[in-house]
Amino acid sequence: MSAGRIRLAAGALAVGMLAVGCGGSPSPSTGSAPADSKITLTLNLFGNMGFKELYAKYEAAHPNIKIVERTSAYNDHHRNLAAHLATGSGTADIEAIDTGFVAQFRNQPQHFADLLKHGGDQLKDRWLPWKWEASLAKSGAQIGYGTDVGGLAMCYRRDLFEKAGLPTDRDEVGKLWPDWASYFETGKRYTAKKPEGAAFFDGGPQVFNAMIGQAETGYYDTQDNVVVATNPAVRSAYDQVLKAVADGQSAKLVGSSPAWNTGFAKSQFATIACPAWMLAKIQDQGKAFAGQWDVAAIPGGGGNWGGSYLTVPAKSKNLKEAVALITWLTTPEQQIEVFTKHGILPSTVATYDKPEVTGLKHEFFNNAPIGQIFTTAARNLKPQYQGPRAGDIQTAIRDAINRVEEGKQDGAEAWTQLLGDVERISK
Amino acid sequence: MATLTAVRRGLNRRAVQRGLNPLGAGFWTYAALVAVLLGSLFPIYWSLVVASHDNDAIASVPPVLTPGGHLFDNIARVFDTTAFGQAMLNSVLVSGSVTVSVVLFSTLAGFAFAKLRFRGRNVLLVMAIATTTVPQQLGIIPLYILMAELGWTGRLEAVIVPGLVTAFGVFLMTQYLSSAIPDDLLEAGRIDGCSTLRLFWHVVLPAARPAAAVLGLFTFMQAWNDFFWPLVVLTPENPTVQVALSSLASGYTTDYALVLTGTVLAIVPIVAVFAALGRQIIGGIMSGAIKG
Amino acid sequence: MTSARSGPRRRWIYQLDVKGSPYLYIAPFFLLFGAVGMFPLLYTAYVSLTDWNLLDPAREWVGLANYAELVADDYFWNALFNTVSIWLLSTVPQLLAALFIAHMLNRRLRARTLFRMGVLLPNVTSIVAVTIIFAQLFGRDFGMVNWALDLVGLDPIDWQAGTLSSHVAISLIVIWRWTGYNALIYLAAMQTIPEDLYEAARLDGASQFTQFRKITVPMLRPTIIFTAVVSTIGGFQIIAEPLLFQAGTGNPTGGSDRQFQTVGLYLYEQGFSMYEFGYASAIAWTLCMIIVVMALVNFAITRRIRSS
Repeated sequence: MSAGRIRLAAGALAVGMLAVGCGGSPSPSTGSAPADSKITLTLNLFGNMGFKELYAKYEAAHPNIKIVERTSAYNDHHRNLAAHLATGSGTADIEAIDTGFVAQFRNQPQHFADLLKHGGDQLKDRWLPWKWEASLAKSGAQIGYGTDVGGLAMCYRRDLFEKAGLPTDRDEVGKLWPDWASYFETGKRYTAKKPEGAAFFDGGPQVFNAMIGQAETGYYDTQDNVVVATNPAVRSAYDQVLKAVADGQSAKLVGSSPAWNTGFAKSQFATIACPAWMLAKIQDQGKAFAGQWDVAAIPGGGGNWGGSYLTVPAKSKNLKEAVALITWLTTPEQQIEVFTKHGILPSTVATYDKPEVTGLKHEFFNNAPIGQIFTTAARNLKPQYQGPRAGDIQTAIRDAINRVEEGKQDGAEAWTQLLGDVERISK
Repeated sequence: MATLTAVRRGLNRRAVQRGLNPLGAGFWTYAALVAVLLGSLFPIYWSLVVASHDNDAIASVPPVLTPGGHLFDNIARVFDTTAFGQAMLNSVLVSGSVTVSVVLFSTLAGFAFAKLRFRGRNVLLVMAIATTTVPQQLGIIPLYILMAELGWTGRLEAVIVPGLVTAFGVFLMTQYLSSAIPDDLLEAGRIDGCSTLRLFWHVVLPAARPAAAVLGLFTFMQAWNDFFWPLVVLTPENPTVQVALSSLASGYTTDYALVLTGTVLAIVPIVAVFAALGRQIIGGIMSGAIKG
Repeated sequence: MTSARSGPRRRWIYQLDVKGSPYLYIAPFFLLFGAVGMFPLLYTAYVSLTDWNLLDPAREWVGLANYAELVADDYFWNALFNTVSIWLLSTVPQLLAALFIAHMLNRRLRARTLFRMGVLLPNVTSIVAVTIIFAQLFGRDFGMVNWALDLVGLDPIDWQAGTLSSHVAISLIVIWRWTGYNALIYLAAMQTIPEDLYEAARLDGASQFTQFRKITVPMLRPTIIFTAVVSTIGGFQIIAEPLLFQAGTGNPTGGSDRQFQTVGLYLYEQGFSMYEFGYASAIAWTLCMIIVVMALVNFAITRRIRSS
């Protein structure tokens, strides 16, 4: 036994630690570098919002600003944000909020900078009217500026369609499915001759989200009452999706899970409902399939899934600078760049007439005219009222459909359990 | 209580003659042990394999089983795309401070309990030992409230301060010091006019080194691997390694090669310590003293 | 060191030092532990009697209402069932395997330290890393376990989806991490068994297996029960493994049907996903009671074995 060695090592360990610093100094995540009085602005996001290039541009124009972006998973992000606001610490200078959660946060306007008091009252006309209203608190305060909207299209794999004997041209593909019933009929045709290992769509819950996004009413009525149990649109979409699952059309992948990401790379599905923000995702995950993906019209037409807001928590240490940054990020000029570089569709309505937007084609997606497809989708979109716990209800529905996909329950059992879960959530 | 008796037994055990089974190990014993060894190593080896390929390797059939050439690319990407550098630094800070503090305070208290006479000693010792069985994990909600009140949520203080002392450390040092330091030595020091603090510094600390080293090692490993409380109180923006790793695994754009590179990075420092000092760690466990 | 000089002042200081300093030395421990260990646990009892949601400033004293709700909560009982199931599935094979490995390590071996370090290695790796690795190995479509099943002609298993299959997978993570550690504890105990017991048995012509069963196991019984108690305390609090086993799905429900949600994970869901601090505290306190009862039962068994 080498007691000497251990003593030496323990000593070295201790010395090392002392050198690094005793006691826990807080890490400088939101602090600024003292040496050159730079202001560091942190953004907490929950996905790729296409801002990376813009930061560099902004930093170049504002030498005293340094921008740090942090990304975490969708549910974790919103959950953490809620807690940090409640406890008054831990928020970044800028926090992104998704459509599914914006109603929850606009009910606590005291936690956010009222943008109307920082020049927002002049900017109202930048956005689609419903986008502006969705983040407006009852008190009249504006808690966030809209970034993108989730205008819907349907992405599909040309090569897989060809193998299954379906048309591959995007206009013809769009004609296959004027509505969801014909989409699922196409799914049947596809499934009968499908290439091994490639299902028709990625997972039931994702298709369901697209379908419910087109309905006039979603999970809430405009008085914030939960209507999941009584809204026929919910039940109808649910039943149709489960029927298609039973027909073997689903790859049964849980959206945004690691397995789902692998599904892109391994060609486990041929279609995916794609709001504009999904384009970036498909491109990230399925790099090998450039030119094989294409974009067609969504069954049913119109509809919205997702889309985000940028907010500034009232506790931000650099509130003025943060507001300036989000104001700049949501100017039409910058949003055009986000769209042309990443395919993420702006909610700033002025961009929809610009030729560089309407004329935009996406090389990765077989030069699909995404500018035209998505601006049309955004203009046709019937806005749907979002209630406070919409995001949590969506997760509960996802779990219900998953239970059926996994063969654990039939549709009726999963529905009953879902209503119980929704009741707990809305309690 | 159970722990106490086990440790008593453990310490007595040293005195007992080592009763190795005289039977030599035959072929089957070696075969079985090698199988166990491979089972222990395989998951770690496999994570290294995946970490050294690009993302396509994970889903290939049949699975890849030999290392590829992308390890350093992947490591660079982990540091580029996540707060892993910050996380490593944070983990070193947290584990380091916790280790120094636990060893120091445990030795101090152990010295008092083992060698000094004072009123209420036995009661206090029993109390300290009883706390080893407290499932502290179940107090996280008030602890979170406390940290929120102090404004520490999301900051390293929130994970360092709750780790500064452990009942187990006190207990271990009490046990060790009561047998490691002869009373005569302390008595002699006293007659020479040493204060207890000087005795602690000149006699107790040097004598405590072997046990302190084991305690330090265990504390460091435990702090490095601690997950649940840091997950609750820290954020993905200012994480420890384990928190960074879990958010990497649940991140928006998951890339298995990246995730498993992260796991390799999280494991490596501990495995290195283990490889260097494994003998002492095993000695610590075998003395029956180390509670999980 | 200076020699002692007597004098009233010096004596007084000496007295103060001897009588007072011990309290100073144990104070850091008791103060810190009281503040961050004991106080939160007790305060949990108070919080559990209130309707307290972190996101809602209004707090209300509700007495035992949270506990009444808990008793009627299907998801709590489901979580308790899962916890017991995973605990049994992980503890029993783990301790048996540990005994067996210890028995093998207790022979004259070449590369003894290598083997000991090898079996202990899983124990020093982080739960997070290990669970991520195992979750990949148990993947539905491209996991290596299903690939191996396919090799031998078996159907692939959706490990996460099934109740039993997910429990088995999670238990394997626990088993992998803790078997070697327990083996070393047993090994230490085995080395205290007097050699003449074995010698006498050999003279009686007892086989290896009989010796193991009739001498080793009975002599180890207190150690076995000690490890069982420790595994119980740990097993009932299991959170990280089921939480990370579904990483990327974003919700701590333990699967779409809560098929592997443990009580600890349910506590986490209520406390840090819904932020229902009152209800989560009731879960914590109830779980604490369950653990205490289990530990006491084990303790009683230990005593009886010793006295018999």
